[in-house]
Order: sequence, then structure tokens, then C-alpha cells
Amino acid sequence: MSARLDERAAETLPHGPRLAAHDAAVFALRQKRDAAGRAEPDFERLREQARRIKAHALDHLDVQLERFEASAQRAGARVHFAADAAELRDVVGQLLARAGARRVVKSKSMLTEECGLNLHLEREGIEVVDTDLGERIVQLGHEPPSHILMPAIHRSRADIGALFERELGSAPGDTDPGRLTAAARRDLRARFLGADAAVTGANFAVAETGSLVLVTNEGNADLGMALPKLHVACLGIEKVVPTLADLAVFLRLLARSATGQPISAYTSLVTGPRPGAELHVVLVDNGRTKLLADHRHRSVLSCIRCGACLNTCPVYRRAGGHAYGWALPGPIGSVLGPALGGGAGAALPFSSTLCGSCSAVCPVKIDLHDQLVAWRLHGAPRGAGEIWLARAAGVLLARSWSYRLAGRAARALWPLLGRAGRANPLAGWLAARELPPHPGASFRARFAARARRSAE
Amino acid sequence: MSSRDEILARIRSAVAHAVEAPEPFEPARRRGDFAAFAAQVAAAGGAALGPFRAAEAGAAVTDLCRKWSPAGRVLASDAALLCLGSGPWSPIPADAPPHSLADVEVAILCGALGVAENGAVGLDGREARPRALFVLCERLVLLVETRHVVPDLHAAFAALPEGALAQPHFTFVAGPSKTADIEGELVLGAHGAKELVVVGIDV
Repeated sequence: MSARLDERAAETLPHGPRLAAHDAAVFALRQKRDAAGRAEPDFERLREQARRIKAHALDHLDVQLERFEASAQRAGARVHFAADAAELRDVVGQLLARAGARRVVKSKSMLTEECGLNLHLEREGIEVVDTDLGERIVQLGHEPPSHILMPAIHRSRADIGALFERELGSAPGDTDPGRLTAAARRDLRARFLGADAAVTGANFAVAETGSLVLVTNEGNADLGMALPKLHVACLGIEKVVPTLADLAVFLRLLARSATGQPISAYTSLVTGPRPGAELHVVLVDNGRTKLLADHRHRSVLSCIRCGACLNTCPVYRRAGGHAYGWALPGPIGSVLGPALGGGAGAALPFSSTLCGSCSAVCPVKIDLHDQLVAWRLHGAPRGAGEIWLARAAGVLLARSWSYRLAGRAARALWPLLGRAGRANPLAGWLAARELPPHPGASFRARFAARARRSAE
Repeated sequence: MSSRDEILARIRSAVAHAVEAPEPFEPARRRGDFAAFAAQVAAAGGAALGPFRAAEAGAAVTDLCRKWSPAGRVLASDAALLCLGSGPWSPIPADAPPHSLADVEVAILCGALGVAENGAVGLDGREARPRALFVLCERLVLLVETRHVVPDLHAAFAALPEGALAQPHFTFVAGPSKTADIEGELVLGAHGAKELVVVGIDV
């Protein structure tokens, strides 16, 4: 795969009707979010409250985590800690092995995507079935999710119909979302009933009560937690909120920001295991303490994974999630990528327009576009070409005569620069843009001419 | 050092315990009546009936069951039986293993509270038992006393029944199960109940 987001995007979501449909589907979510925000008189104050709760919770994260651990243990849950992705994979693998679990139903968890859990479990010989419909689609298609909330939004219904015909035996040529969903429901219901264990994420953990909070529209997390005798929940350490009163603030923002719903269909507070069952909670660091220690970047740990910044981002809407090259796409993926995303994440802060739309919709008011700038300044490595260009500009712009000479050269070369073709260094940039019209003469010359005219 | 101690040590060296918690949130005043709640249940893809006086509720739910003419079992919780009296439903078998409920068509349960701002019904774990029932059933009927409707989620958490979080779960259910994972088109009935009817009861 290419190293550049724009080149990857050209491969994974090329120009055409699919791209237009992707753009329309995700921007429709942005519009629903706007309408829900306008309809809710508390909305803007909730965003500020959420920002402040997170700033406090993160600055007391040690206390909050210990409090959560104690309350969850009191309720009968077992709490584990994992320093990195490898340890999460080991802990979950061992818990499943100890219980003799061969068949696992999973509900959506961006953290386990980040940590590559599925692949690890499959190598251990465990059958892992993603149960969120979108996750199931991409799992059957052997590809990663492309959106935090709608993992298969890059696929067309015809695509999905063909995939289900092959994998689930749905009627040939059927592309009706209702019937395709019903086919997946039948298949997955049997897998739920046959599962030995459920692996889930969690949207929040409440320190005060030791509750995990799981939010879905489909009900898959609730089915998973209610059937097998083992439930393993994996979450990042930053997910802890202090109190139930704080949780109310986040729940009121989450679905409104994600889909424009006032609340998702199922919101479960899970406090300890059900009788005769086991509940294990795995709290994962995987780079988060490093972000916590870096005051320039701490705010990104406030993210509640609503997807609003993806839906509004001009780069994400055009590129699709696969172009980002790691688990989290969009603006939040570009600011977490350099810290958590490995090699693919390092250059992502440069693939943004800095338009600020992401910051404007974030329910916890993360300064996303400032974060992008901060990573550009100190975080990500720069290409040699960029450094050379900046040095050359420094020399040219420092002296009046060289500046004028450069302007004259640019005006002379203008017609050539606008021409398409591989020899043109601007070819990539011009693929979707046009140069502005030739100004005719320099600003200095036009200003002098104007002064002469008014003097006459 | 264990990963636990290592992570906590790293956090301790990163934080200053200097940022203060904000004052509690003061929500705007809003309606907390059954009609406002019912409108949000409908917006979430469900239906709201009533409110009925307790004596009429049994007939209303019986009519609903006739309309559906369910092929599978119709089960009602003890609290729902107490409220509705006899009808085309039977009690949930005591200690039924969750897997034995896969053929339930209609489940009738009592909600602990209703939230007017979003149409969610709070289901207490002591009532929604076995836990799988409210998701496994094809159609879900939730009885909500009108006096238990609160304006918003802040009020809902303040009004949680005593001991609700000493139970393995407390779930807010807003409308039927749904997904929009295929081209963003809304489909009701992803994994859980395909239909949800809230029945208001005046006590």
C-alpha cells in the first residue's frame, strides 16, 4: 500500500458513484447531528460540561481507575490491566483458553481493532464472530472497518448482497437492506445461542459504581452479555468517568453527535456478572499514558468515539476510512495515529485541511485541528522535499530582489504549471484543482499603474 | 512490577490533580409528562399506547396480542401479571435458562421509569430476567406507570430504583432494535425486538 493517504484513497475508494454515495451517507449523519443539536436546548452547555468532566477525570485518572477497580471487584467482576496490545491479546486469549471457549461472539470495540485481537484469537484456533451488522459485513469481506460507527459504509448494497449470497445463502440478486439484515440476523442468532464467550468493548466505565456502560442500536452487546457464561470487556484506561451524574452528560451527547438520535436503542449499565456467569474487565494502556503525560496532546484522550469528526471531515468524506491505514480513521484517527497507530499513523496529521470543522462538531470539544497542527510541528517526521522547499522559500522571501525575481519566474512558468502531465511537479495537486487565472502583471506593477492613473 | 502497578505509576507521574471537577449540570426545564415521553417513543421507532387505568390495561394488551396473533410464546413477568391480570400470556418459567427463550415471540415487562427527552424505558435487572429475554423476543411490551416518567436522563439517574446498580444490569431501551449499516438505510429489528410498544398506566 502507498504511504500517502491521497494515493491510498485513490486505490480504496476511487472516483465514481460509490464515492458519491459514501460522501452523501456520512454527511447525512452530520446533518442529523446538527438538527439534534439545534433541537436540544442543553446541547452546547453539555459539550462544555463534558469537556470539563473529562479534563478533571483525566487529571485524576489514577484515583478514578482505582475507584473503578474497587467498585467493579465489589460487584463481582475481575479486573485486569494490560500495558500494550500484546498483553491485551494474551490476557483475553488466556481467559478464553481457561474457560475452554472455542466460539466467541464479539460486539464492536475500536480498542480490539487497535490491538489486533481477532487475528490473534483466530490463530489460537478460536472462532470469532463479529455481531454488529457492519462489522460482520467487513469480517466476511476480510477487510477492516472503515468508519467508527458504520464499519461497512464504503460498501454498496449490491456488494453486500453478493457477499451475503456467497457467505450466508441469501437470495441471489437480493439487495434490499431489510432482507439482507434479516439474513444476517438469522445467521447470527444461531451463533449467539451457540457461543461460549462474549468479548465486548465498553463506551464508559463509572468509577463510583463499578458499572460498565455499553451502548448499541442493534442489541448485539446485550445478547452477547446475556447468553454465554463468560463476558470479557476490553476498554482503554481513559474511558473511566467519575460518577453516574457525569455519565448522564456523556450519554446525552453520544447518540446526538453520532446519528442525531437522542439516545441509542440499548444503553446497558453492567455492574458485575449475572448469577452463575463470569465478568472480566481488561483495562488497556497501549500508549495512552504517554499521551496523558504530554500536555499538548492530553485532550485527545477525551474522545468518546462518536464519529462526528469523520462525518464532517472533507478529507474523510473523500478518502474513506481504509485510506488511513490503521484502526481509527478521520480527524480523531489522524491525531491518535501518530501516538497509537504505528507506522501508518505518523504522516496522517499532514493529510488534513485544517478547516476546523472537526473541532466545531466534537461533543467533548477536543481541539482537533490544533492537535493536527501540533503533530505537524513536533510529532511526525517530515519528507526531505518539504524541508528543501521550506529552506528555499526562506531564502527567496528574505530579500526584495529575490522575491521579485521568483515572482517573475512564476508568472513566466504559469502556463506550463497549469498543464497536465507527468513531468509537471504539481500534477498530483492539479488532479482535482485548477490554478487561478494568470494575474497578467505583479501586484507591485499593478499598484504603480493604478497610482499613475489616479495622479493623471 | 505488575502491569497494573506500572500503568498506575505512569499515570501518577503524568497527572497533577490540579483540574477541578465542574459544578453539577443544570439542565433546561422541560416537560416530563407521558405525552412528551410517548412522542419520543414514536420518534425512536416504537409505539406508545394509553395511558390506561390499571383495570383497562389488560384489555389493551390483550387486543395488541390478538392483532399480532403470535405463533410463538407470550411471556409476562410477575409484575406485569400483577398489573394486567389474566390474558393470552403465561408467566416466565422460574429459573429458565436463557437459551430456552429463543422461541419467545412477545415479552411483557414492567419498566422502572420512562425518560421524556428520548423515549427510553429503564429496565431494572430484577424485572428483566432472564437478562436475554428483552433482546431475544420478537416483540417487546413495556408497561410504564405515568408517575414514573421523568424529564431527562439526569433525572432518570437520580430516580434509579434503590439497589438498581447492585444488580448485574440496568438497561435503557429506546424503541426497537435497529441498524443503518447498509448504505445508511434504517432497518428495524437487527438483533433484538423488531417492535416495541410502551403501555402507559395511570395508578
